Amino acid sequence: MPEVNGQSEIERLLEEMDRSLKRGLIPARIFNDPEIHRLELERLFARAWVFVGHETEIPRPGDYCLRYIGQDPFIFVRDEAGGVRVLFNACRHRGVQVCRAERGNASHFRCVYHGWTYKNTGELVGIPAAEEAYKGFDKSAWGLLPAPHVASIHGLVFASLDPQAPPLETYLGGMKWYLDLLFGLTEEGMEVIGEPHRWILEANWKIAADNFAGDDYHTLYLHKSMWDVNVFQVPPRANMMGYHVQAGNGHTISFSIAPDPNEPGPTFWGYPQEIVARFRPDRVSREQFELARRSRVSVGTIFPNLSFLTVPLTADPDRIPPTTFMTVRQWQPKGPDRMEIWSWALTWKEASPEFRERSYQACMASFSPSGIFEQDDTVPWPLMTKTAGTVFFGRRNEMLNYQMGLDGIGAARPVTDWPGPGVVYSPRYEEGVQRHFYRRWLEYMRAG
Amino acid sequence: MSDHHPQPLYQQVVDFLMYEAALLDDGRFQEWFDLLTEDVVYQIPVRTTRDREAGRGFSQQAWHMNETWGTLKTRVARLATSYAWAEDPPTRTRHFITNIRIRPGDAEDEVRVTSNVLLLRHQGDVPSAQFLSGERHDVLRRENGRWRLARRLVLLDQTTLGTHNLAIFI
Ligand code: FES
Ligand SMILES: [Fe+2]
Repeated sequence: MPEVNGQSEIERLLEEMDRSLKRGLIPARIFNDPEIHRLELERLFARAWVFVGHETEIPRPGDYCLRYIGQDPFIFVRDEAGGVRVLFNACRHRGVQVCRAERGNASHFRCVYHGWTYKNTGELVGIPAAEEAYKGFDKSAWGLLPAPHVASIHGLVFASLDPQAPPLETYLGGMKWYLDLLFGLTEEGMEVIGEPHRWILEANWKIAADNFAGDDYHTLYLHKSMWDVNVFQVPPRANMMGYHVQAGNGHTISFSIAPDPNEPGPTFWGYPQEIVARFRPDRVSREQFELARRSRVSVGTIFPNLSFLTVPLTADPDRIPPTTFMTVRQWQPKGPDRMEIWSWALTWKEASPEFRERSYQACMASFSPSGIFEQDDTVPWPLMTKTAGTVFFGRRNEMLNYQMGLDGIGAARPVTDWPGPGVVYSPRYEEGVQRHFYRRWLEYMRAG
Repeated sequence: MSDHHPQPLYQQVVDFLMYEAALLDDGRFQEWFDLLTEDVVYQIPVRTTRDREAGRGFSQQAWHMNETWGTLKTRVARLATSYAWAEDPPTRTRHFITNIRIRPGDAEDEVRVTSNVLLLRHQGDVPSAQFLSGERHDVLRRENGRWRLARRLVLLDQTTLGTHNLAIFI
């Protein structure tokens, strides 16, 4: 790494971005640079709270799934006492992965190399030929390494590898208020349907996190075919009405909401009466409940790499009514120019089997590898990554434009009577949400 | 496939699969769609790596595709719009269908077909292919003297898909 006055090229780039971001300019290079990627793994993914999975993916004692924090492998497991653990997937003897199936049920994990055996709490309980090989050895010091912090909200489990990390609730800041109204309206809450979709995209992970942070603008053009085939009821321009929320700490949410509170159209994200009847006003504040009622679409990003979307769509406009689904998706870094997308479909535990199935279908048909919405996102994201990796543009630190809504550019204006936390703009022609995301990114990246 | 010169059943099945693959690789999706029965079920389950004793790892609940005639109609209609960017410019696919085995179907006019599929996909100026491979379990049904696809279950070898989307049919 070339150094100037003891400062690496990347440190200088980040310092410059600290200034340029105020003007809505972001150096393209951050979307495809090996050094940035390396620093992200160390400074961001090893320190932030990162999504691991949903509690309903491991309902019974012994249930486990393999997950990644940054690029590091962890076992997400429910122990015999019912506790949720996040254990580094490496034998303490020589570091071999002790769990090689992606999911299953196990009381113990046995390393294939020399056979050290760990309980699903992580405790080392078995060593072959222990008498001869390890007499006097303190097994208790050699259990699987747990993630330093594990916590959950509405069943969404996060872990932080930083012993100094603040509590999850502090980390989420104002976002908790929004997660409560998205995931907490019924007594029993949400559950994951089946196994997540996983696929590889040759694009930088931040592009997807930024898109879900509130790039509603792209729906007008990139996703135009969705309206041509009638899979979404709210017309494209009308759907831009609503709010962008910078919820604090880099978390963002965008609401499609009609200007008139009594305008006909989807309420409660289009959920049918059978579900809405289960929404309990007493579980949230009056303001949260009213915001939920008026929501047609909610989309956002929990910093750094977990996004969510809830919207009513149909897989077959002639035969199936628009059906609401909730997807959470994780943009896993796999290199400077490569991510693995993990996508889960969730529904309310109280949902009927028919609704559950229809909701999964709506999600799969629109947001999944085969999803006709998401297919189109897989075109520009790799292209943006390519540009970021060029010499002429990327290496010369050319800037990308994130100025929409900045200093009165466009129609978006601050909302002063918003009932919830955060800085809010309306309508959704606005990129303050993305700037908020990158501001937080910079804070992690610059705190070496 | 003329009734006047009936071919052996196996040859009829092979002809159908080769013709179907050609339509897909030529991007003739509407003609492909016309080969489907109205009660068609087209499924690609999500797969995970599981211990041997836990089976082959195909999900009962999670699907890459789980389609009916109507949902496939939506997909084909959307590919025909002027804004289906995922396939414009089109990716170039090549379906290789091999290891074809046939068994009697549940009904007299049906035949069950198992085959292997190797699907190469090229995009833009990238010389290397993305590929998908797997097994297909089909049911073909004879309707009005023509074979149609009534059921397809694609069992992929990949857990994490190595292609940027499934804007294509397998
Ligand atoms: S590496 Fe696991 S037992 Fe030796
Ligand atoms: Fe999109």
